[in-house]
Amino acid sequence: MNATFDVVEGLTLVNPVGRLDFEASAIFQKQMEQVIAEAAGRSSQPVLVNCAALDYVSSAGLRVFLVAARAAKSAGIRFSVCALTASVKEVFDVSGFSRIIDVQADLDSAKGVLAASRSA
Amino acid sequence: MITLLEELVLLAVNDDGGMAFTAGSPSFGRAVAGACLVELSEAGRIDADLSAVRLVSSAPTGSAAADRVLAELAAGEPAAAEVWVQRLQEIVPELVRLALRMLVERGVLEQTEARFLWVLRARRYPVIDGREQKEAKLRIVSSLLGDEVPTPHDTALVGLACAGGLLQGFLSNAEIARLQDRINLVGGIDLFVKGVESAIRTEAAIRAQAYMIPMV
Repeated sequence: MNATFDVVEGLTLVNPVGRLDFEASAIFQKQMEQVIAEAAGRSSQPVLVNCAALDYVSSAGLRVFLVAARAAKSAGIRFSVCALTASVKEVFDVSGFSRIIDVQADLDSAKGVLAASRSA
Repeated sequence: MITLLEELVLLAVNDDGGMAFTAGSPSFGRAVAGACLVELSEAGRIDADLSAVRLVSSAPTGSAAADRVLAELAAGEPAAAEVWVQRLQEIVPELVRLALRMLVERGVLEQTEARFLWVLRARRYPVIDGREQKEAKLRIVSSLLGDEVPTPHDTALVGLACAGGLLQGFLSNAEIARLQDRINLVGGIDLFVKGVESAIRTEAAIRAQAYMIPMV
């Protein structure tokens, strides 16, 4: 799995690509920890994970999202995911992740929601 | 630091050192199997998705119970978490014995022999100072009363304690009812715990069907 990290329109955008399984989870977790620490240093900038190109997530991958969401909440950062592919959405729904993590339908609506929350 | 399985078994130990009635229940057995799967997952030995548990490494973890389950996984055909929870039921008594032995070795429990009717012997495991048991209960209650996102370990502990019927040991039915939404939210945001819940539902459905009287 590869991931890119950009700061755009006042938020940190994470774009994971490929399969988030056990092999990929340790590196991605470290990257997410760094992203959240940096976002905290930028006036608690929101972090958005765009999952449009994430094909697969396993139990180990879900744990990365949970740890990241926990770290973000502790740092006062809004943490959202968006554009889940069908297979990833199924895993999020079955595991109950969709109820504890903010999930937006697509990138544009996620950006809109985050922009509105910043201006509120 | 005690393991997830040890925490679960510890929650099933009564004040008098006996095992709670829930300890022999099918739900508790499935929670025990689930705890071992979560431990192996946390130790990087297995991974899972909705269709199968995958062996990542068969290197021993150092936990006798987890390694017993790891050997079963390595020898068995690949299957979903729910199926593995079911398959592991045969070795649940052994897993509980291993967890109790570890808790005695760690100085958390004491092993004593009691006699009933002067003849029948019963083994009891009184808690020595209760610190670990209190800590496990406190972590569960904190996860349920707070609004923080729980750690993966705590969400598994809450989910398995709930699935195994162990919350009733220290929370009243009214408290459980009041916290039910939060229990559902944080308990078991984990595919292995979901496997435990599915296995319990399947077992209950089979049992209900067995008790049904055929309509004439």
